[in-house]
Amino acid sequence: MDGSAPSPARAFSVVRDRVPADIAARAEARFGLKDDAETRSAAAMLVAGANLDTVRRALDENSFLTVELTELEDTTGAVDGDWLGAPPVEQGFYLSLTTGSAYGMRCAVLVCDELARRGVLRPERRGNIELCLHEAIANAIVHGNMGIPSSTKEQPEGYRLFSQLLKERLGDTTVRQRRIDIFARWSGSNLTIAVVDQGRGFDTSSLPEEADNNAHSGRGFLFMRALAKRISVTDGGRCTLLHFDL
Amino acid sequence: MDFRVRVSPESVEVLLTGRLEFTDHDSLPDIVQLLDDPGGPRMVLDMSGLDFIDSAGLGMLLILQDEAEQRNIKLIVQGAHGDVQRSIELARLNEIISIAS
Repeated sequence: MDGSAPSPARAFSVVRDRVPADIAARAEARFGLKDDAETRSAAAMLVAGANLDTVRRALDENSFLTVELTELEDTTGAVDGDWLGAPPVEQGFYLSLTTGSAYGMRCAVLVCDELARRGVLRPERRGNIELCLHEAIANAIVHGNMGIPSSTKEQPEGYRLFSQLLKERLGDTTVRQRRIDIFARWSGSNLTIAVVDQGRGFDTSSLPEEADNNAHSGRGFLFMRALAKRISVTDGGRCTLLHFDL
Repeated sequence: MDFRVRVSPESVEVLLTGRLEFTDHDSLPDIVQLLDDPGGPRMVLDMSGLDFIDSAGLGMLLILQDEAEQRNIKLIVQGAHGDVQRSIELARLNEIISIAS
């Protein structure tokens, strides 16, 4: 599911001084990025209804911030900027997508392709990092932004209910417009990727410590623990930080 | 993920291709339904065309296993390789599900 096709006239724009204030504030609060002229000048913006191709083309601009706009932002004139391809302000990138577009976009593949394109990710490290990131993104989308508890699958016929809830939430405009933010940053042999959702969070003390290999759910976290060098969950369960050796 | 079905007197064979992940929950009821169709005492899930499976996909295999057991049907997973095999080993599913090479 790639969402609707963007308008061919401006699939995305790189804009100076036009990062919406709430996005700039979020980047600053979560990731310590200063909301200064340098950061803002390196922003790339996507229009509403991003698909894999437009996101890849936006990332190709080597901008620091790649942000999908909600339909509301798109129609209030936020994107009419020029195409100034400013260099990245540091070693990293920040990708912000709406849930409606991120679902089915294979975001982990997209992010790993981008890390490989920038020469950060070697092929032999890719498999484990991609699976780990995939699990974090799937959790953020399904349990975070869509608000579907993982316990749903543990009840009899739970998979039918789970499938039905996915369909319902995918049809809910509020849910579709919740953001998923992916922030990758690297230096030397360290790579850190943060995955942030806008859901209600969860009690992080309830995370499974040990593998119950017969359970229908909860395996994603165990995968992440096994594959990342370190994993931390902050912001009441809304932010998952994955640390890897490159 | 896409799947094709091959029915023989001995078994129902389901050939999975692509990626089996959290966005594929819709397909699960269709595969469970195959357990109720006339077929042999075995269901074979052929994964030789599958490139990727995530934890949600592994959860689907366990649900299929439960559903098959309830109907006295033996579920066999075969042909897993590469990233798919890595995920199955990581989750130690081989202790629960019959995995053939």
